[in-house]
Amino acid sequence: MAIVCTDVYKKYRSHEALKGMSFTIEEDKITGLIGRNGAGKSTLLKILAGHLRSTSGEVLLYGEQPFNNLKVSSNLVFVEDTMSFSPIFKLDEIFQIAKDFYPNWQDDLARKLLEYADISDKNYHHKLSKGQKSTFNLIYGLATRCKITLLDEPMNGMDEAIRSDMYRAILKEYITFPRTIIISSHHLQEIEHLIEDVLLINQGQVTLHAPLEDVKGLLVKLVGNSEMINEWINSSEIYYEKNSQINGEAIVETTSITSLKNELIAKGITIQPISASEVCKYLTSQRKGGIDDVFK
Amino acid sequence: MNLNADSTVPIYIQIAEWIENEILADRLTADSKVYSQYQLAEMFNINPATAGKGLTILLENNILYKRRGLGMFVQEAAKKQIIERRRDEKLTILANEIVIEAKRLFVSDEELIELIKKVQKGC
Repeated sequence: MAIVCTDVYKKYRSHEALKGMSFTIEEDKITGLIGRNGAGKSTLLKILAGHLRSTSGEVLLYGEQPFNNLKVSSNLVFVEDTMSFSPIFKLDEIFQIAKDFYPNWQDDLARKLLEYADISDKNYHHKLSKGQKSTFNLIYGLATRCKITLLDEPMNGMDEAIRSDMYRAILKEYITFPRTIIISSHHLQEIEHLIEDVLLINQGQVTLHAPLEDVKGLLVKLVGNSEMINEWINSSEIYYEKNSQINGEAIVETTSITSLKNELIAKGITIQPISASEVCKYLTSQRKGGIDDVFK
Repeated sequence: MNLNADSTVPIYIQIAEWIENEILADRLTADSKVYSQYQLAEMFNINPATAGKGLTILLENNILYKRRGLGMFVQEAAKKQIIERRRDEKLTILANEIVIEAKRLFVSDEELIELIKKVQKGC
């Protein structure tokens, strides 16, 4: 196992960011770390990267704890917004330094990708725009070819055109040189094609850790007469419901309706698939009703 | 081919179906080598493990066979098998739909069979 987390807590004075997280991540898999804002994604990544210390619990990367650990630092890269480089060096000089520190550094790739992104290597990191910074940081992270690559919302600020190019670059690099990658996002639909597993977290805890297709198949949407729906489904199994003048909608677990499929269709209730992104949304939502309830 | 990310059909199954279509169209013939999971990953812009799952399904269904160190190849009887299986599946799905719809419209079993016979005579 590349990454093993056991009962990890992170408590700040005012609140508990991580509340007993346990999971393992296999070597060379791409895992999507999904969760709402404030779920604990960045905190978790910072702890894995050794930037923060957990309050309690165990974090092991290839058997080593990451805090203040040179062995881990030279085999791990953490790409995130506040990633900083010395302001006295130009981008090409930053690459030069990286070459000396990272054993697998891909100099040619880094320069070519930077050129593709129309960023001059004679520029300074702090002078780049937000989108350019994200682009540079990601290129840098990929070029290090670190066995553990952590990407915290790497596409923040990038415009549409370069985003898909960068996702493609991650995939191509991964195929050429497999590594353990965790990419966090609150837009699962953007990274769906890239990831193998989903690690869904909510309010500092692991809600679900499973392959992407399993997540997709967890919940379905029932559309039809709301009374009929309620007749067949236990209200405890309903994750979300909405009743409008047109019809009623309910989100339920797929397993709760597999045996009832034919009966439901006979009653005029349609069963629709929902995206993995929506499944994650419903699994981490507090309420059963939607925004319309606020306006009632 | 474009993958449908929104469809109920998981991506790895869409990959398997694409390969089957290539076999049906004779673009992949018996004993020819199929794309590796890495090649498929690049072609379709997906995770190689997902592509690998698609290949595994075809291996399990005897559409492909593996030659250690060399890759995956098309079984001789693959095309025939695909045609037979798709025929059965498609007809079963349609049969299910017609039976459910008939029930909804209060059509009896005998009436339904009569209707099918009429259609068969007519075609």
